[in-house]
Amino acid sequence: MSISDATTAVNEELASRDDMIECVGVDKWYGDFQALKGVTATIKEREVVVVLGPSGSGKSTWIRCINRLEQHQGGQIIVDGVELTNDVRNIEKIRSEVGMVFQQFNLFPHLTVIDNVTLAPKWVRKMPKDEAEDKAMELLTQMGIPEQAQKFPGQLSGGQQQRVAIARALAMEPRVMLFDEPTSALDPEMIKEVLDVMKDLANSGMTMIVVTHEMGFAREVADRIIFMESGEIVEVGTPEHFFTNPTEDRTKLFLSQIL
Amino acid sequence: MTNAFETIPMRVVAEEDLGKPDLPPEEPSLPPGEWLKKNLFSSVGNTILTILVGALLFWAFRGLLDFAFNNAERDWTSVAANMRLFLTFAYPVDQYVRVWVSLAILLSLGGFSFALTRNIGGITLRRIATWFFTTGALVLAATLLVKGPLERDADGVLIFNEENEAIRNAVVWADRSIWFIVAAALFAIAAAIWFGFGDRRRFIFIPTHYVLYAMFGAAVLSLFVVKYGHYGLREADGALVPVMEPDSLVARSTRIPWLVMWVVTGVAYFVGTLLRSRGWFKGLTGLSWLLAPPFIMWVILRDPSFDWAHVWSTDIPMFAAFAIGGGAILFWLSKPDLGEIGRIIAFGLGIVAFLSFLSGALGWMSMLQKARISFVLLAMFALVAHNFAGDRSARLRFVGAWIATIAIVHYFVTAINTPSTLQGIQSDTFLGGFLFTLFAAFVGLVVSFPLGAILALARTSKFPIFRILATTFIEVVRGIPFITVLFFFSIMLPLFLPEGMEVGEIAGVLIGLVLFSAAYMAENIRGGLQSIRRGQFEAADAIGLTPTQRTGLIVMPQALRVSIPPLVGQAISTYKETSLFAIIGIFDFLRIANNVIPNQSTPINFVGHKREGLLFVSLIYFIGSYAMSKYSQKLEKDLGVGTR
Repeated sequence: MSISDATTAVNEELASRDDMIECVGVDKWYGDFQALKGVTATIKEREVVVVLGPSGSGKSTWIRCINRLEQHQGGQIIVDGVELTNDVRNIEKIRSEVGMVFQQFNLFPHLTVIDNVTLAPKWVRKMPKDEAEDKAMELLTQMGIPEQAQKFPGQLSGGQQQRVAIARALAMEPRVMLFDEPTSALDPEMIKEVLDVMKDLANSGMTMIVVTHEMGFAREVADRIIFMESGEIVEVGTPEHFFTNPTEDRTKLFLSQIL
Repeated sequence: MTNAFETIPMRVVAEEDLGKPDLPPEEPSLPPGEWLKKNLFSSVGNTILTILVGALLFWAFRGLLDFAFNNAERDWTSVAANMRLFLTFAYPVDQYVRVWVSLAILLSLGGFSFALTRNIGGITLRRIATWFFTTGALVLAATLLVKGPLERDADGVLIFNEENEAIRNAVVWADRSIWFIVAAALFAIAAAIWFGFGDRRRFIFIPTHYVLYAMFGAAVLSLFVVKYGHYGLREADGALVPVMEPDSLVARSTRIPWLVMWVVTGVAYFVGTLLRSRGWFKGLTGLSWLLAPPFIMWVILRDPSFDWAHVWSTDIPMFAAFAIGGGAILFWLSKPDLGEIGRIIAFGLGIVAFLSFLSGALGWMSMLQKARISFVLLAMFALVAHNFAGDRSARLRFVGAWIATIAIVHYFVTAINTPSTLQGIQSDTFLGGFLFTLFAAFVGLVVSFPLGAILALARTSKFPIFRILATTFIEVVRGIPFITVLFFFSIMLPLFLPEGMEVGEIAGVLIGLVLFSAAYMAENIRGGLQSIRRGQFEAADAIGLTPTQRTGLIVMPQALRVSIPPLVGQAISTYKETSLFAIIGIFDFLRIANNVIPNQSTPINFVGHKREGLLFVSLIYFIGSYAMSKYSQKLEKDLGVGTR
């Protein structure tokens, strides 16, 4: 009773905010295999959404469609009022407003940490070099690794690399951050340092979509949890609702397997 | 800048830094006897092996050493007296200033590039001392071993008698004294460094740039001291005597120009260090390297005599038409929201270009070759136009690149098709000797490298047309032996060209060399491209880079780094493969040693003297290849290939 009240309250509060990402009936095929089946969801400004689901459920595919690393074949994706179409201008505009953090970090190994962070501001935003470097140092300080600026990615630990990757994405001053299993490739002792940085980011009011298997993070930080399976959104709700009183059988089965 | 050694600022490590923990302690060097025992005679088996291999080496090189230093048959004068032929072949002597200007351009670009590569590292003083010592020992050994050439009679038959032996010794002693001094000086420098700096010698690094520049300077200074190739045998009073020939003094006629070259290189390096932090300087240097080969070949060395009436009536209007018309089309094609229609129009332009070539080959439509080339270029620009879509200024930059390209291409095509002002030489055989070898290798490398990179990108492109064309080209070229390619381009190329297009033989074989080398480079670079993980592409996309920026900033730098070892291997092959030009009758470095000098009977009879020239040519090839190989090892180490 109180849970549904809480959910309603959250929903009402969210409804008053502007839409940041709107997906309507998004379909995606890989050959004959349908990876996304009519995914419909709306992400509000400053909202933190955690996407859960078994592997192969289409979580990563969905968020990769949002900045068009994958091309959706049906439905609409509207990011900050701009619809994703084949128009090169729109794709570039959206990519510069949507930051992405990958499971495998994907830092540029031939560039130093500071060059990794300043590359996009200099070449995409045409920011002067000094300004870009000042901003990069600020971000690296925020990530707790200012002393690593002149090193190459190969000289850093996994946790440090992932924090550089977050700084690189933030350097473009994105309005949305997408996290694709950011801690799955990390050693256990490094997971916390990355999650802490992500928590700070969430508290600072960044709009975030996080695909993860970290249930603790989901429970603590998420405004809403989206549960996906077989390319569909099965259930949406607050963490409280999701972990204590899920309505769908498939959600219950998933939770029974992981908890 | 009068003294080579004055300009070397030494980075001296302070005394208190000497025991730095990050430098390994110097291994105690064994006394020579101990070293021999440890490394060569440590067991019965090793002793037998050492003696056996030593005997084998001595037996193998006995003949060569005897020939080089003592044999009565050999006559190093054939090399020394023909130095001019070796270096520039038949290039008119009164036009040598053009050769020097060309060299100055190349050395300046080299100076700029050296200034741009800041972290080239250094060489320890200890090592330099060892070099001086080894060189001194080699000079001393050679000086003691060598005997002069034998005298010959008017028919070129060698004369053996006492008087002759006296001349032979006189010739040698005339030179020996100076070489003893040289060896002594080298030993003295080695000793001064070794004992003067004590233990510090292995901590003092001298930047490699300065060492190379000092070596260049020392070589130039030696022209003032050592009389390279200064004597020939000349008939005087009925007998052949060694005489100074003022007109064949290579050292005397080249020392001032070489000194200028040395100064030019240093100034270029200095200017480069001043400008290297500017963003545009690197790009400009790269572009200059690309434009230097055609500019030197067709403008400086060949000096086209432009028909200005024709230029104003035909060439300029044609350039204007392509620049403005093509520019307008490309400006429209780079509109960001154009979509499919742009691709269709670009494809249509490709068909027009293809048809214009086909019509030329079949003789249907008379048209200047330049127009056909321009159509092809326009189609290529149109196909990539969507990559440059953006705001107005980005599109204008794209159009600017088009106009610059068409201007450069039109200029060179016009220059190539204009007769030369130089008298007395055939228009397409104005290059020869080492000048040609160097030039061919330079053109081959500088032009085939970007072409190879483009081919590699095309072969991995998502557009089928690029992929098919690149794959076909690479596979066809790699399936044909190089010598066949050379014959094809020197003899059969005109049959395939449209009417009205002429390519000289040298230009033809150079095109063959470039295309051949590019196909192999492309495969090396493609290997590097394939090693780039998908995540790198995605990360570049995700931070908003355009496809062009992604290729230029992320993919290519990583791919090239991976492919450095095979690319340098290919560069060395290209340099050496230029010697195959000798077979198709071009007067390159090797052909002069192999065919020209052995048939020379005036002013000195050198008939049959092939081996000296071949040894000299081998040595020069080896020095070039070895330097490149060394440089690549250093590059690999600096870039950490294989350790990362």
